[in-house]
Amino acid sequence: MEIIILSLFGLAILLLAAYGYKISAKTAEDYMLAGRTIGVVVMFFFILFAVSSSWTFYGYPGFLYLHGPAYIYFIWGSVAGFAALYMFLGPRLWAVARLNRYISPVEVLSERYESPLLRLILSIMLLAFIVPYIGIQPLGVGLGFKALTGLPVIVGALYTVALLVILVFLGGMRIVAWGNIFLGAVYATAILGSLIWVVNRFLPGGLTEAAQNLMVSNPELLSAPGPLGYFKPVIIGGTMVVGLLAFSWPHIVIGVMTARDKLLFKWFPLLIFVFGGVFFYTIPFIWGSLVAPAVMPGVVGKEAVDSIIQTIITKYLPGWFSIYVLMGVIAAAVSTAAVQLLTSSIIVSRDLIQGFFKPDAADIKIIRWARLSLIGVVVLSLGISIWNPMAMALYLTEVTIPGFAQWGPALVGGLLWKRGTKQGALTGTLAGLIYLIAGLIYRPLFFEMHPVMPTIIVNMVLYIAVSFFTPPPSEEIRSKFFDEVDDFLAAK
Amino acid sequence: MREILKHTPGRIFLIILFLSVVGMLFVPRYFTSKVLVFGWMTLPLAAGLIFIFVWLVAYLIYFFKYWPYR
Repeated sequence: MEIIILSLFGLAILLLAAYGYKISAKTAEDYMLAGRTIGVVVMFFFILFAVSSSWTFYGYPGFLYLHGPAYIYFIWGSVAGFAALYMFLGPRLWAVARLNRYISPVEVLSERYESPLLRLILSIMLLAFIVPYIGIQPLGVGLGFKALTGLPVIVGALYTVALLVILVFLGGMRIVAWGNIFLGAVYATAILGSLIWVVNRFLPGGLTEAAQNLMVSNPELLSAPGPLGYFKPVIIGGTMVVGLLAFSWPHIVIGVMTARDKLLFKWFPLLIFVFGGVFFYTIPFIWGSLVAPAVMPGVVGKEAVDSIIQTIITKYLPGWFSIYVLMGVIAAAVSTAAVQLLTSSIIVSRDLIQGFFKPDAADIKIIRWARLSLIGVVVLSLGISIWNPMAMALYLTEVTIPGFAQWGPALVGGLLWKRGTKQGALTGTLAGLIYLIAGLIYRPLFFEMHPVMPTIIVNMVLYIAVSFFTPPPSEEIRSKFFDEVDDFLAAK
Repeated sequence: MREILKHTPGRIFLIILFLSVVGMLFVPRYFTSKVLVFGWMTLPLAAGLIFIFVWLVAYLIYFFKYWPYR
């Protein structure tokens, strides 16, 4: 039964990818940026589910179950970060990329700062942080697969990888974006449906009953710092700041460049606030912070806690629904990893291969390199995840997010600050990156802060200071990246 | 964002957003209280919903009435 349903699900993905291949224009712009034709509704699903990985089913509710409700501050920060990207940076990045036919955000910055060296550094840095992150998704699915079917973890992981490769290889950005509507709908109905079902069955008094039960059995779960004393005010604040830096996630930034027109930037935040912030992200929050501890208290051990929702569903709901939920988790994993995978392959083909070795390559070659590199990236990321699975969970919060943040100052300054210079961008980015690596090797260098805090401050200060002490960008660059963009955006 | 900084409504918009972030960083000291809004909503959830509501209202007013590229 499980195998048949999952095969049908795989077939649906295959058909979607084949359709995308059939209708694509076979140009680099079409494969990598969906021909810059994504409208606001597709963009919303595209971005929401590019962000909502299997972490929203495993890691997030598991952490809430262990440490109480304050972890939601990461979500509040992230929602504001994504909205800020679309309100403040998005229109300019979209306009300059459209005017100059740029395909990758790294390409935009290398042109803005007139620095191939910056292109190389940013490409390698972003790949180093995004590639292991991709591998976490199939591995997470593999664990769910094992729990439901009894098959080894690698079977579920390979199944997910196969879906990923088919979707991205054939479909490109357009089908990854459209596919996220289908995948997101499966995931949203699975997680919301399971929540409603479990509440109806075990908590006739609804969420109030869940909260009252916890008030009696484990009241520390209803407040900060939580049962283990983790969420002190400074940690809660730091968690929100880390969330705010979501504007710098490269697979989200590239989404901006696929927009059809500038009106998207007017409407998109509305969907993010209402459907993302108020609705979607509160579902796993309610699951992990209220319902799971009320229905199944006393679970210990990180792996068991991470699987708490799946355990409850498997134990108390019908088998066919458990399969549907697993399908939802696969959908969440694929929707995120596909965007990350495509972003990585764009960086490899456009920024590294074409940028440094084959500047005059035809579109068909760029697409071929992107397809080949995505296979390399997926094999590498899965290999890293299998080789060292325990370190991967830490990699996400302690390494990936601080790593992504290191191109933040150069990105923001490059788009908004005329005075930002190549020397400032290079110095700030390199200093932040070296500090991050050194601190990860020798933790006291972070002074008991989250890795992102001291590294981003050093990066930002150096970017601004060095920019002030070095010659300003040329008039040509200022005109191309500011005056022309202003005129283009101001036009009706 | 450059266009937002160039006029008064934009600057007011940014100040409101900034103050709401500061407020969010200030209120966690009260999260030790086990107060439940509507009988089930914990304080970090309630604070975040208010925060999102402030951003939503500020965004709606600014982007639909004052944003130069609207």
